[in-house]
Amino acid sequence: MIAKLLRRNETYLFFVIMAFSLVVTMINPTFLTVENMFDLVKSSSGMAILAVGFFVGLLAGGIDISFPAIAIAGQYIAVNTLIALGVDNLLLAFVLSCAVGTAMGAINAFFISAFRMPALIVTLGTSNIFHGALLVFVGTRAINTGQLPDCFKAFGHMHVLTLTRADGTTYGLSVFAVVLLGIIVVTWFLLKHTLLGKSIYAVGGSYESSKRAGFSINRTLFFVYSYIGFLSGIMGVMHLSLIRYSNPNYIVDTELLKVIAAVVIGGSKITGGSGTLVGTLLGVVMMVILEKNLVLIGLSSYWHQFFTGLIIVLGVSITHYQSKLQSKKSLSFAD
Amino acid sequence: MASFLEVKNISKAFDGVQALEDVSMAINAGAIHCLVGENGSGKSTLIKIIGGVLKPDKGEIRIDGKLFRPGRAIDSIRRGIQIIYQDLSLFPNLTAAENISLNQLIEKGNKFISEKNVIKTSEKALMEIEEECDLFAKVENLSMSKRQIVAISRALTQNARLIIMDEPTSAITKAEIDHLFSVIMRLQAKGIATLFVSHKLGEVFEIAENVTILRDGRKIGDYAAGELDNDKLTFLMTGQKIVSTPYVRDPENLADANLLEVKNLSRKGHYRNITFAIKRGDILGITGLIGSGRTELALSLFGLNRPDSGEIVLEGRSVEINSAEEAIKLGVGYLPEDRLLQGLFVEKSIGSNIVVTIVAKLLNRLKLISGAKRQRVEYDWIDKLKIKTPSAALPASSLSGGNQQRVVLAKWLATNLKLFVLDGPTIGIDIASKSNIHDIIRDFAGEGVGIILISDEIPEVLQHCNRALVMREGRIAAAIEDITRVSESDIFDMATAQNVDQVR
Repeated sequence: MIAKLLRRNETYLFFVIMAFSLVVTMINPTFLTVENMFDLVKSSSGMAILAVGFFVGLLAGGIDISFPAIAIAGQYIAVNTLIALGVDNLLLAFVLSCAVGTAMGAINAFFISAFRMPALIVTLGTSNIFHGALLVFVGTRAINTGQLPDCFKAFGHMHVLTLTRADGTTYGLSVFAVVLLGIIVVTWFLLKHTLLGKSIYAVGGSYESSKRAGFSINRTLFFVYSYIGFLSGIMGVMHLSLIRYSNPNYIVDTELLKVIAAVVIGGSKITGGSGTLVGTLLGVVMMVILEKNLVLIGLSSYWHQFFTGLIIVLGVSITHYQSKLQSKKSLSFAD
Repeated sequence: MASFLEVKNISKAFDGVQALEDVSMAINAGAIHCLVGENGSGKSTLIKIIGGVLKPDKGEIRIDGKLFRPGRAIDSIRRGIQIIYQDLSLFPNLTAAENISLNQLIEKGNKFISEKNVIKTSEKALMEIEEECDLFAKVENLSMSKRQIVAISRALTQNARLIIMDEPTSAITKAEIDHLFSVIMRLQAKGIATLFVSHKLGEVFEIAENVTILRDGRKIGDYAAGELDNDKLTFLMTGQKIVSTPYVRDPENLADANLLEVKNLSRKGHYRNITFAIKRGDILGITGLIGSGRTELALSLFGLNRPDSGEIVLEGRSVEINSAEEAIKLGVGYLPEDRLLQGLFVEKSIGSNIVVTIVAKLLNRLKLISGAKRQRVEYDWIDKLKIKTPSAALPASSLSGGNQQRVVLAKWLATNLKLFVLDGPTIGIDIASKSNIHDIIRDFAGEGVGIILISDEIPEVLQHCNRALVMREGRIAAAIEDITRVSESDIFDMATAQNVDQVR
């Protein structure tokens, strides 16, 4: 059992996170407090959701980089519709944002499956189309806190667990955690216990074999990219509720690199077909801790960009090096 | 005995080219049958028709005497026909258990999967052939022969009655082949028939009962395996007699000095204390099981696998070869085991593939590639090696296996080699091309190139080399100076360490 654990990437990543947290706690004792942890969960659950989506795409062998554009499109269309209709309903906002997201994901899926094009190239194009269309047809005006329907603010403040500080004030675990948990459970179940989930691995592992086995590849791809769009839609609403401000010009592209970094450091192969959900989530934790604590350990926040890039390169290199070791064992000198 | 499967008078044409003409064949329940023919003889077309992938233009298929018209692959699978393609069609990133049971789950239309069920299904299938396998291991980490077991088990989960195996012995060692055969025998005992599809002579005849031979889309005949021998089969498959005489080095015209000396070469975990020498015109065979260190040694000579200690002396000069580039400069060429992956730019033109190693020699005064020079060299080699193509501009992928291998040879031979290391040069190539490639190799040895020929096939070494090394577990188990004095079974014993004490 232990030997098996030691062979897994996740174990190492876990220890790295532990060690890093220890260092940070020594410098700043408030780091390892329940309140700070709750705070981290709230601020990073959006990124975690995007990472789950990106991970599912990678499993199917595709790099989908359109999720920031989809998230902002879903968010901005939802909030504008609510304001225009004068409705203050969170559910409607979610339905709208997710519908927009799913539709955009389906468009991605169409190009990827119909023309057998690499997802990276397709989504590089479509993310500009989506964002451009949003600015042209919906608007460029930012929605500030004052104009924001109350349901978003309420959602941002909603707690599922409330604790009291020594001075009598309260803090709590955001409802975001429940949304994230729900998505994790659904995705886990999907990948582990459904044929559709296995078909995602199968398509990412071998296209030809999937065809011969009788998987409907187009249906699988359609699901994968729509699901990424759907998750981006959820993230869009959460992001808005968190920062209480919607700016269609601000495409969440810093999220893009952070998400990719999280997934690859989590041990997913950038070439597709392999990786774990646990690894992905650990990768997110790693990125979040790094982001929040660079200043603490005496580095300016500009270093964050540097480290994000470094992690992508390192993460890909490590995973690639490991599979090279494997192939050396079986005597193929392919690279 | 009643036939399980009968195909009668099948014809099929593609764009006016007759791939199959009036071919009939019957496979008995539980039989071990062999379908042989050269590349392009129509074997794959025939199995695709049986498998429901292609529709015949004429003729009929009967299962258990009843007419059967498959519309799609799944129709054949439902009637118990399973095709295991050469690439095995497995999912490298899924576990053995998932690979074994997925197809059955798709067929059943299950939406949900229970891991317990997956394991149970896989265990049951493995038990049927009395095999074991780490069910939780990813298939990419399994050996080729284990992967075959996984593929066979997968076929069993769908109630196979006939398993068609496309070239099952080309990627596994002798010991693994024997193992595969014992599995096939167990299938036979259960009444499951096996159809081997092959263009290779040898192993499969050990257990096949009947052999159907195709040539140019027509059936040459059905034979009992016992009435065929290598020569007869070669003749039936190719329509030509291929005579081979053992290779003899010509000592008159070639210098006697050693071209290459390897002294005490070692690399930890790969090979130990390797010492040997080659003269110009030698064809030195290196044989041994996969993992015996032969490929690793070859890579070291080509600068791709740095030795830890020892010395390489080329033409009397001690050299260090640290990269392929240095090797080429020294006149050393290497033809890798995996021609498609490592030896060829399959999407580039045939011509580009030929000149890729000698671009520097094609430059004109402006240091640009001279089109005229380039074309001359390309067509020179296409003629010389009889590469069958209408144009040097076509992609290398348009060629058959044998012709692709000739392109790779041309690429190297164009560089004026002194020493040429060939790793499995005839793997997966049909007999006629094979003999042509052997002729090319002999010609170049005759002109004074030193050749190292690494091969799995002991008969190939016996016929085309004048000397040989047998490697086992990273060491030279035996050095044979006069190849005419040993037999196939001698070498096999040396390579596998059976009776090795007596041999020493």
